Amino acid sequence: MKYGWVFLLCFLLFSGCGENESAIKVDLTEREQVILKEEHGVITYAYLPQYSHTISHFRHHSLIQYLRKETGLNIKQIFPDTFDEHMKMVGQEKIDISYSNPFIYIKIAHRYGAKAFARIVEMTGKDKFRGQIICRADNSSIKNIYDCRNKRWIAVDSTSAGGYLYPLGHFIDHGITKKDFKEIAFAPGPGGKQEKVVLSVYAGKYDIGTIREGTLDVVSDKININKIKVVSMSNPYPGWVYAARKNLDKKIVEKLNQAFRKLDFNNKEHREILEAASFIKVINSVDKDFDPVRQLAERVGMSLEE
Amino acid sequence: MKLGFRSKIYLGFFSLLLIQGLVIFLWVSQVMKDSMLEEIKNRGVSIGVSLSARMVEPMLAMDFLRMKVLVDETVQLDNGIFYTFVLDEKGNPLIHTFKHGFPVELKTANTVQDGQKGSMQLLDTGDQLIFDYAVPVIINDNRLGTLRLGLFQTQAEKMVNKIMFTTIVTIIFAILMAGIVGTLLLKPVTKSIKKLHDSSEQALRGDLDVRTAPMLKKNCWDIMQCSQKECPAYENQCHRCWYMAGTLCTSCVEGEYAKRIDSCQQCQVYKQCSGDEIQSLAESFDAMTLSLKGNLSDLKTAESILNEQKALLQTILDAIPDFISLQDNEGCYVSVNRAFCEMLNKNKEEIIGKANGDLFSKTLAEMFNKEDKSILETRIPLVKENRVPGLKGLKWLHVVKIPVLETKNYVKGLVCSGRDITKLKAVQEQLTQSQKMESVGRLAAGVAHEINTPLGIILGYAQLLLEDVEKDGQMYEDVATIAKQTKLCSKIVADLLNFSRSSQKNITKFNINEAIKEVLSMVEHTFSLNHVIVKHEYDKNPLLMQGDKEKLKQVFINLLNNAFDAIKENGSIFINSGFGKTQSEIKISISDTGCGISKDNIKKIFEPFYTTKGPDQGTGLGLSVTFGIIKEHNGTINVYSPPLSGKKEGNGTQFIVVLPTGLNMKKGELNG
Repeated sequence: MKYGWVFLLCFLLFSGCGENESAIKVDLTEREQVILKEEHGVITYAYLPQYSHTISHFRHHSLIQYLRKETGLNIKQIFPDTFDEHMKMVGQEKIDISYSNPFIYIKIAHRYGAKAFARIVEMTGKDKFRGQIICRADNSSIKNIYDCRNKRWIAVDSTSAGGYLYPLGHFIDHGITKKDFKEIAFAPGPGGKQEKVVLSVYAGKYDIGTIREGTLDVVSDKININKIKVVSMSNPYPGWVYAARKNLDKKIVEKLNQAFRKLDFNNKEHREILEAASFIKVINSVDKDFDPVRQLAERVGMSLEE
Repeated sequence: MKLGFRSKIYLGFFSLLLIQGLVIFLWVSQVMKDSMLEEIKNRGVSIGVSLSARMVEPMLAMDFLRMKVLVDETVQLDNGIFYTFVLDEKGNPLIHTFKHGFPVELKTANTVQDGQKGSMQLLDTGDQLIFDYAVPVIINDNRLGTLRLGLFQTQAEKMVNKIMFTTIVTIIFAILMAGIVGTLLLKPVTKSIKKLHDSSEQALRGDLDVRTAPMLKKNCWDIMQCSQKECPAYENQCHRCWYMAGTLCTSCVEGEYAKRIDSCQQCQVYKQCSGDEIQSLAESFDAMTLSLKGNLSDLKTAESILNEQKALLQTILDAIPDFISLQDNEGCYVSVNRAFCEMLNKNKEEIIGKANGDLFSKTLAEMFNKEDKSILETRIPLVKENRVPGLKGLKWLHVVKIPVLETKNYVKGLVCSGRDITKLKAVQEQLTQSQKMESVGRLAAGVAHEINTPLGIILGYAQLLLEDVEKDGQMYEDVATIAKQTKLCSKIVADLLNFSRSSQKNITKFNINEAIKEVLSMVEHTFSLNHVIVKHEYDKNPLLMQGDKEKLKQVFINLLNNAFDAIKENGSIFINSGFGKTQSEIKISISDTGCGISKDNIKKIFEPFYTTKGPDQGTGLGLSVTFGIIKEHNGTINVYSPPLSGKKEGNGTQFIVVLPTGLNMKKGELNG
């Protein structure tokens, strides 16, 4: 019996003692300087940062993989933080292929000689899209576009097509000018600007907001979109456009065009790529297709140099 | 040194607390240490995962400034974080927190596979140990690179030690607090137990007036607003009412504690006054001693009564002349009375617990055992007469053995009752002899009656012939002999008739001295011829009595003739007469200086036809006739040889005859 007690005591005394984990010896004295090596032969692909980089990556990662495979080009997606940065990088030839809205396109075309070679067909099946004017569903003071006078307006960006240019043209068409608003603001920070407009209206910080068609679906997992109502929609204008920077090898453009044309929504693999990118088709395009946008910019008094 | 209860409790209590403290310290602190280290490791993973998520956007934008800010902020977050750096998908460092270049060996020191949440590796830099965490930076299932985070193990150990120190202090504080609280709680308990122990010792010493429970603070008469002073619980501050019998509350159930406690537990008094287990123990102990005291008193009274009854029973048993014994079913004696002890010539202590084999001879013991066994088996009582050796020779015992049944089928033992019937047996023998003699007497009387007449004729004719024949002739002698023998026969016949009491009685009142004188006048001359002198001493007063004078004279003749025959010649015969112990009886003593009677013969002298004389000298009926006549007169005759008078003149014999005067009797009341 007494041995039992001794055993128990020893068990209690020593059972808690464990062995130390094995450690790998490392020498911290051997150091090196970190220098990024420029990768040659890379075709850079950038998606205008209307959403966060994560969404941009999600939407175009599969498409880029497809293009790499189809064209054999070393295409790499890069993520400029702002619309301005995107445009400048096109000018600096850091972006070879730009996927942007028509307003940005007419700017980079005007400023840096970028040339459109393809444009998308929206999930709606149309090759054009509209801007939307939204407000809170419970805002009883706004029932139509005319009620937007003297309200606080938040737009996506001064360079946004669906989020600013198209709605502004729509307001002007209805006799409402910039001066008629109590305040005009743009979504802050880099990326995710479309979502920020919806969230600002949802939070009640602004009375109305302007976004491109389809944005409400993107934020449906973040807010209850039934709390948001669409006050009015602009006229449709040409959709998003693929443009090649100035001096980009035409063979590359041709390869890309061929690859785009092969995308078939009825093909299961292609459909997944297209659904992720949020369009059903890529069609050929030329610079002339965007003249209505140029005319709209001129009409609302927006300079392509700004 | 022996430890007291309190010391044992304290020792056990503190030992337990100490062991518990050690166990907690050694076990729980180890568990805490492990869990703390685990927590630290998880914290590393957690920081890594969080930083990795925040690192996605800057990595996509290749925004080195934001990446740098993020890793620097992370390192500054905690002193325990040694470094943070990010590797691209090819394992090349993109950004890091090292000031003087990136340590090359760190790149491959820890890796994380796709699909893993993270990986931890302990690194030894020579100066210190580091927990290195590798967390993948993933976007949309595509790996952008790897985030690495280094935490000082020493920092973690410091935290663990701090926790262990806190644990020790807490445990010591807990032990001290538990000790203090335990002591405070234990003190009244041990105090109560000691008091209980003292009270029990006091009770063991016989003093049952113990007071163990504390005085009552609330009283039943106050709670129930009772004023029944005759109630045993009223103003009794030493005992709780539910321990008392005979309380007068209307709600009380009658009876002892066991019958009423269920009811009492529902009472307000019980609910308000009952204490904890220790107090209940003390109160019940007091109640128990009180009850014990009462029971002991009853027991003593009962014992006293029992002892009296026992003594009485023993006295009765001892007073009974019959012997009585009780044996158990093994044959051992359980109880005996005095007569039994006297029979065995042993005292009671020598007999109780012994068996037959220890008390009787082997033969008797075997016989008794056989009898006892038979009775125990058959349950049939035994009645018999035993002839056993006694202190004064053989004894006749009338024995009854009865089985004692405890239940219908179980024999507990047997009772043996015995009576000494030696004397009764002797009387029975005498009675048998007497009956025999009576039959013989009747036969003899019948024969004598029938022979008497022919004898008279023979004697008459013989005497006629004697007158006719010549006296010198042979014929005369022969006829004389016939006449002589015929006379002898007549005498025998007369004696037989006397013996058979068939002779007629002639009751008169006479002076016994006169009767003696008449007899002496008849025989004195004959005695003197052989130089036998008769000396007499009569009472001065006439000894008058009622009786058959002639038969009594025959008694005296027989006794004097026997005395003469015993002396033969040259001797003396003494006659004494007087009143006996009272005036209602007369005592006559006739003694001689003759040859006396041997002890063997003296028992038989009154038997008929017993004689020591020659054939022509006695018939053997003299003393028998004498005995019969005296009995007829309700008197007694005793013979002593040598005489009681103490005169040492030869052996001699003394006959003492005691006769009732019979003067207050009516005529004809004499025996027969």
